Formats: sequence, structure tokens, C-alpha cells
Amino acid sequence: MVSCPDALMWEITKGSNSFLMKRNGNTKRSGAIEFSTEKGNIKSLNQFKFSGIANSKVYDVVCTAENKAELIKKSASKAGSKPSQAQAIIPIKRSDFRRGEKTIKKNTSDVYYRRDLESAALAKWTKVYNANKRAKGVKKGVAVKKGRGKL
Amino acid sequence: MAARPLVSVFSLSGDKAGETTLPAVMTAPLRPDVVQFVHTNMNKNKRQAYAVAIRAGKQVSASSWGTGRAVARIPRVGGGGTSRSGQGAFGNMCRGGRMFAPTKTWRKWHKKININQKRYAVASALAASAIPALVMARGHKIDEVPEVPLVLDTGVESTKKTSVAKDILNAIGAMDDVEKAGDSKKIRAGKGKMRNRRYTMRRGPLVIYAANDGIEQAFRNLPGVELCCVDRLNLLQLAPGGHMGRFCVWSQAALDKLDTIYGEDGKRIPTAAMTNADLARLINSDEIQSVINPAKPAPKTYPAKANPLRSIVALEKLDAHAANKRRMAQKAQQDREANKAQLLAKKRADRTAKKAFKAQGKAFMAIASKQGDVCANGFTIE
Repeated sequence: MVSCPDALMWEITKGSNSFLMKRNGNTKRSGAIEFSTEKGNIKSLNQFKFSGIANSKVYDVVCTAENKAELIKKSASKAGSKPSQAQAIIPIKRSDFRRGEKTIKKNTSDVYYRRDLESAALAKWTKVYNANKRAKGVKKGVAVKKGRGKL
Repeated sequence: MAARPLVSVFSLSGDKAGETTLPAVMTAPLRPDVVQFVHTNMNKNKRQAYAVAIRAGKQVSASSWGTGRAVARIPRVGGGGTSRSGQGAFGNMCRGGRMFAPTKTWRKWHKKININQKRYAVASALAASAIPALVMARGHKIDEVPEVPLVLDTGVESTKKTSVAKDILNAIGAMDDVEKAGDSKKIRAGKGKMRNRRYTMRRGPLVIYAANDGIEQAFRNLPGVELCCVDRLNLLQLAPGGHMGRFCVWSQAALDKLDTIYGEDGKRIPTAAMTNADLARLINSDEIQSVINPAKPAPKTYPAKANPLRSIVALEKLDAHAANKRRMAQKAQQDREANKAQLLAKKRADRTAKKAFKAQGKAFMAIASKQGDVCANGFTIE
């Protein structure tokens, strides 16, 4: 509807928005950490490249209920005015890792949609795939260090 | 100005019922700085005066004892017969003294704001409310909303019952935001809860109408929902907290009225300083790309210089033979070190063997050259 360029949108929202998670002193070295939780932010980082608010084109690979995965993709033409139709949801049906990878590529980089996000998307797909496997019990969970002084 | 886009008008049952043009004011520039500035100042305009009692801490008669009494020169309460006498008074560091810079009721509580700035802020906030991303960034739940700006048929203004109002909000997907506001109701932290500000709650949708035919009473009891007549648009409602992008639900009459309130006959609509604020588009445009200098080659990087006296690799480039010589020397040294224990062991073994041999000869000589009756025990040497 009213078009707002991505760059301007980023300038407006980068400092404060409802999705921002800032924590002081929570990291190993007590530095501040900053994450962003909006839909479509593939790395959950508050960066222009990944921002699901500022970018008119953005996509993400997410886990869904029943341990499945889906690809959510912002439809640039609708997102500007129609929130209920702003996202295209493409289920990743295949349980095969490579087939899932193909679904992701086919819908994004192969059609020249945010090719810069490809490596991040494939990394996320690995995580999502493994998480689903673990949730289903096919794969063992990650070994957790007990830490010192604990039996 | 280019032709303005159309906005869908939804019936009270949530179906698309028509279209109207987007008001010109919704293309106003987005200026979070102006909105925030005006908001902070406007927010000060409903403050009540407070101050400490004007005579607090000044009600004793006290004067300094001056120097020479080995006590601080602070004014001291005069007289005797009570524990108060002789204690320090008046100063902000004294028990029972007045505070530092006592607050006064004649503080400047209210702020005057330039009218043009105020109007700029309202126009900017209105424009922001028409951008879904900004509305979401403000925290409104609008995932189910069919369109932003959300315009309803003017019939919504004659809604009489809250139950009907709920149905309408449900039909247009705005109920999520109302529920979010309702769920957020919490008891306020701090003293405010005993000062008639017991609960805190997020803001829900702002319903804007042109005429109140019952709409105000129908909607106002829903949590978080606020109502406003289009003639009295208020920045505190349009950009709560100074963050623009309030989720607005318009009646068609109200939206259409914006074009008479703002525009040629009404208030001036601010214009953007930049026609095109799309930075990426500007940078990549032919006009700019054709005049800028080509990218300069990056400064050449050299590997750190290695000292041939220390580094064999560096020496090899200068003199392969010398490098080889040094390598062989190093190798010989290493070999020596590796075989040192073995060599030493062999040497020691040889030495002990030699000593044993000599000792044996000496012993034989001693017996063989014995004086006297050498053959008393026969001819065998013991």
C-alpha cells in the first residue's frame, strides 16, 4: 500500500522494536547479547540482512508441530498491505535431507529470491532436520557436559 | 502527486465490501525523531504539581557557631535543655534539615509544542499506522488482519452492543490484538498501585470514527481498545510511548474525512526531504553508478618480512646452499642429541671394561712378583 523502502524501514526499526531481545551480561564474558524474534529472521539476529521486518523479501526454515519443517517466505507484493497474506508457507514434506534441501533451493535461490541467504538457510535446515530427528527419537540427543563437581 | 492507491473497505462480517482511496496524509514522511520529541513533550502536559512543604527543615532557629569551637560551621540549633540543641540544622546533609534544592510547585510542568511540529508528528504517526511492518514492530498482533489500513463500513459507527463489537473484531482478525492486551494485564510494580494506577496493560487497537452513534460505548470496555473521533486525533494515542505504528481500525467515514482535515483545504501535509528514500535503489541507480569513480584496487598487502638469519625459509630464497648447510648442521645437532644417551652408555661401559682389565693385570702382577717361597703351595696361582 504505502510503500516504505527497506533501508528506511531498517533505520526506523533497528534501534527499538517489539521483537528485539537485548540482555546485559548474559554471555560468557558478560557482554550484552542481542537477538530478534520476528518471523522470517533466519538467524534471529538484529541485522538488516536478516531482518524480517525491514526486508520486503525474506525467508526462513522453521520447525512446525508434529516435528515437521516448512519454508516460510515473505511475499513482497502482499506484505506491504495485507498482513494475513504476507507469508507463503511451503511445507518441506520429504524426510530425506537432500530432498528437503532441494525444496528450499527450488523456491528461493533458483528463482533468484534472496540468494544471499542460501548458506544461512541450508545451515538452518540442517539444524531443523536434526532437531526433528531427535524429537522423533530417531537420533540421540546431543551429549551435555555435566560440568565439574557434579555426579 | 501520483495516483493514490485504493484501500479495501470491509463489511462488518469481514467480507470486502468496497474500496476507497488512501488519504493523502498517509503518504506523509515517517519521522520517528519528530514523533518521539513531540510525544515526550506532550506527555508532560497532564502532570500535577508536587513539592515538599515549603517550610520543611527551616522551622528551627539556628545559627553557626563560627570558628574556634572545633565543630563544623553548619548552623546549629540554639538553646539548651533538649537533645536537639547544638545539633546541625538547615543543611541538606543534616538530620532534620531541608532537602537540597527543595521542589517547588511552580516548576515548569507543561511544555509548549510548536503547532506545526505537533501536526507533523500526527501526520507521521498516521502514515506509520498504514504500514504493516511498523504496526507489527510496535507489537500489535495483526497476522490475521486482511489489510492495513483496516477500514470498516461506516455502519460500524452505529454498533450498540459490546458483543457485536467483539464479533466485528473477530471477523476482521483484530481480536488477536485485543486478547494480547487483555492477557497482558498485570499489577503495576511499585507505589503506583496504591495511587489509582493499579494495573498495567498493553495497548490494543485504536478505533477511529467520524460520528459516535454508539460505537464508543460498544467498544470501550474491550481490553486495550481505545476510541477516537477523527477530528480529535491525538499523538498520545497514535504513537503510544513515542513509537509510531498504532494499529488503527477506521470507519470509512472517518478515513474519508482525513482528506478534508488534511490537504489543500485543511492542515498542511508535510513533504519528505527526499523524494526517494530507498538507499539501495539510489546507490544502484544508473545515474549514480555512471558518475562515480570505479572501485579503487585495494592496497597491496605484503607478507611480513622474515629475517634470513633466523628463518631458513627466508635464507633459502637468498642462498640455497647456505640454507642446506644450516639444515644439515641442525640435523647433525639433533642426531647428536638423540644419540647422546646411547653414546654415553657405550663410553661408560668401555671405560669400566678397561678398568676391570687393568685391575686384573695388576692383580696378576702382584701375585706373580711376590717375594719368598713362591712354590710353597704348588705352582698354581690363586
